[in-house]
Amino acid sequence: MFSVLSYGRLVARAVLGGLSQTDPRAGGGGGGDYGLVTAGCGFGKDFRKGLLKKGACYGDDACFVARHRSADVLGVADGVGGWRDYGVDPSQFSGTLMRTCERLVKEGRFVPSNPIGILTTSYCELLQNKVPLLGSSTACIVVLDRTSHRLHTANLGDSGFLVVRGGEVVHRSDEQQHYFNTPFQLSIAPPEAEGVVLSDSPDAADSTSFDVQLGDIILTATDGLFDNMPDYMILQELKKLKNSNYESIQQTARSIAEQAHELAYDPNYMSPFAQFACDNGLNVRGGKPDDITVLLSIVAEYTD
Amino acid sequence: MPPVFPMLTVLTMFYYMCLRRRARTATRGEMMNSHRTIEANSRTSPLNAEVVQYAKEVVDFSSHYGSENSMSYTMWNLAGVPNVFPSSGDFTQTAVFRTYGTWWDQCPSAPVPFKRTPPNFQSQDYVELAFEQQVYPTAVHVLETYHPGAVIRILACSANPYSPSPPAEVRWEILWSEKPTKVNASQARQFKPCIKQINFPTNLIRLEVNSSLLDYYTELDAVVLHGTKDKPVLSLKTSLIDMNDLEDDYEEKNGCGMDNLNKKFSSIALREGTSNGYFDKLPYELIQLILNHLTLPDLCRLAQTCKLLNQHCCDPLQYIHLNLQPYWAKLNDTSLEFLQPRCTLVQWLNLSWTGNRGFISVSGFSRFLKVCGSELVRLELSCSHFLNETCLEIISEMCLNLQDLNLSSCDKLPPQAFNHIAKLCGLKRLVLYRTKVEQTALLSVLNFCSELQHLSLGSCVMIEDYDVIASMIGAKCKKLRTLDLWRCKNITENGIAELASGCPLLEELDLGWCPTLQSSTGCFAKLARQLPNLQKLFLTANRSVCDTDIEELACNCTRLRQLDILGTRMVSPASLRKLLESCKDLSLLDVSFCSQIDNRAVLELNVSFPKVFIKKSFTQ
Repeated sequence: MFSVLSYGRLVARAVLGGLSQTDPRAGGGGGGDYGLVTAGCGFGKDFRKGLLKKGACYGDDACFVARHRSADVLGVADGVGGWRDYGVDPSQFSGTLMRTCERLVKEGRFVPSNPIGILTTSYCELLQNKVPLLGSSTACIVVLDRTSHRLHTANLGDSGFLVVRGGEVVHRSDEQQHYFNTPFQLSIAPPEAEGVVLSDSPDAADSTSFDVQLGDIILTATDGLFDNMPDYMILQELKKLKNSNYESIQQTARSIAEQAHELAYDPNYMSPFAQFACDNGLNVRGGKPDDITVLLSIVAEYTD
Repeated sequence: MPPVFPMLTVLTMFYYMCLRRRARTATRGEMMNSHRTIEANSRTSPLNAEVVQYAKEVVDFSSHYGSENSMSYTMWNLAGVPNVFPSSGDFTQTAVFRTYGTWWDQCPSAPVPFKRTPPNFQSQDYVELAFEQQVYPTAVHVLETYHPGAVIRILACSANPYSPSPPAEVRWEILWSEKPTKVNASQARQFKPCIKQINFPTNLIRLEVNSSLLDYYTELDAVVLHGTKDKPVLSLKTSLIDMNDLEDDYEEKNGCGMDNLNKKFSSIALREGTSNGYFDKLPYELIQLILNHLTLPDLCRLAQTCKLLNQHCCDPLQYIHLNLQPYWAKLNDTSLEFLQPRCTLVQWLNLSWTGNRGFISVSGFSRFLKVCGSELVRLELSCSHFLNETCLEIISEMCLNLQDLNLSSCDKLPPQAFNHIAKLCGLKRLVLYRTKVEQTALLSVLNFCSELQHLSLGSCVMIEDYDVIASMIGAKCKKLRTLDLWRCKNITENGIAELASGCPLLEELDLGWCPTLQSSTGCFAKLARQLPNLQKLFLTANRSVCDTDIEELACNCTRLRQLDILGTRMVSPASLRKLLESCKDLSLLDVSFCSQIDNRAVLELNVSFPKVFIKKSFTQ
């Protein structure tokens, strides 16, 4: 009798186990695939409303969000504004870079654990364009590997990301700067200026990988955000995020971007940028008017 | 009971049975889940619901503009959903072939066409696409986004590229075919030819293109295959194309086919008593001359008519030029064996595009070559994926008189196969476009083949250092007239210097997409001064080409006919004017994406130099 029961239990367990394995979306206990629910918001520096080019461009910033069977990928790029003085539109480089990354991901030409590879391939593809692209930008790529539940990141320059868990920052990217206000950057220079223009290799990007949990919040943004809003303010806004549906994420992303945008034009506010300048001997106050791009994601269970 | 009632009952029963049968063969519409295919439009018809698919992958192609491993202007863009359509323009996300127009037929490296090419075979390039599901095709739509009109033939294959076991019998059927026609607009269009119905399901579609009437590169975005899962019960469309379309259409068009002629002659024979009628009165060489005009299948058919004509048609003198490329869809080992006895004197052999999917085996090819190899002077083996190292070894052993070898796009050939080419010391023309030849093998070839006049190393990605190659060419290949270094990624001014000094006879040089060449080193100026015979120079996407270079070309290379300086910001209309005034033979000038040359400048130059085709591509 006892053996019948235990045998029955074994059979039941095997059957149920088999059933749950055939269901690709078996949830519960984090056994299934993860996905990112992402919303973005941003503001161009010069109030250039309605100049939303293909993909998302805010001023000279650009960003993308892409899904693939194996991973969710997003990225931001901050076009270096100095090119404007030479007659080059800085948003062309960052925009094309992000759109190329998006295409790479959609076509599966990437390895989730190698986000630097996405940058390298995308940069090489820019050189394959008949159109002679010029310009430079920073870049930050974040990849969530669905099955391994790991987040792989690559960051070149002063854009970056934060990972917030339980109201605290558990991971963040490091800024890469050559000197003040000169971040690491991918660039394509005109032939006469090669060697003179700063051009970092995609291999110079910082790369990190770590596990994430359901409910983790990932904030990817250009320096327009981080230079104007210190961590505690960002965390305050993120506390208001109650659930992981797209509308609430979109709302929070917008409120963060709006707040940063307001602070940027506040002349008396001691922004992180002003703080850093003071620490280096420059006596300044106020926000830093800049393009702001915010991509806010939550790790959730993957649904098709 | 009147007799009409049983009739009515029988008729009703009959009708009812037919209806039931039709209902049973109806299928439900399928939903495509793959991100590469779109959802099916399940028609309201209870019969076969239609399945609509985009291509899942590109399995083979003969050429493309883009770089290997890139997503820009490469054939792989033809798979999946469209990226650009309905926009028109020159976009990176489209599939682009390597050539257009007649420019490549007009330059010094243009190969001489084979005799006996049937006039209805005009395909220059092809691409093969695999789809997820096998269907009976009802429509094939091609989304063309730039300079449409290149597609001239669509074929379907019975083999499933995704089935694990090789199929027993592979058939290719032409779904649609037409001779090249000019399309007046360069705008995007969805090309919807009327295709023939076939009686086997397919998921492998092949497009063949001819770009000779196009003003610029054609660009294709996607291919849509409409079909039904089950064989259509009612054939609503009539067959537009004859089943034997791979051969000539002449028989129906001419009033007297060979069969008719034979009948006439045989009846005369009965009356006059001679065995071959008037044919006996014609000199042997005259009949041979007449037969020279027949295409190969006609020649083979004629051989079956009578002993005299059999003797003529099997005469190896008829097979000195043997072009088997138009018959790629049917040519197999048996065909080669059949032709073998006649091919002892073959000098020019074209097996391009043939033999794939198991049609020709290595042993079949080897046997054929052992018969005809010793006289062979020209061997075209473009896209012949049946080739392996053994085949090249046999070629190098048997074909010691070979002067012309084309292995274009044989990308499955292993690198060590190319070592054997060095034994062919008489080579004058060698095409290795898109092959995996490696540096040591190539250096060996260059060392021994000092007669080389035409060399193509376009997109040979396995070469590590092109400066070394250029140096060897300059040292050994003194007779070189044309050199294709398209996308030779790391050639520098040193290599160019060695080339320019070593090969003064150069008439054609393609340095397109070689980013490591910098005008500031003076390499282009040096080139111009040392190569006065240059007729074609491509400096595509070299962003450093400047006014000085153009002026040097104007001074020194007055025989220039074709120049491509796409994508440079540093050339002004003024220097181009000098070039056009000096180079009277210039007929092609590509200034696409040159930021100083706007449309107005092009118009002004066109007015002054109306014979020159000035190309200016655009994205939006």
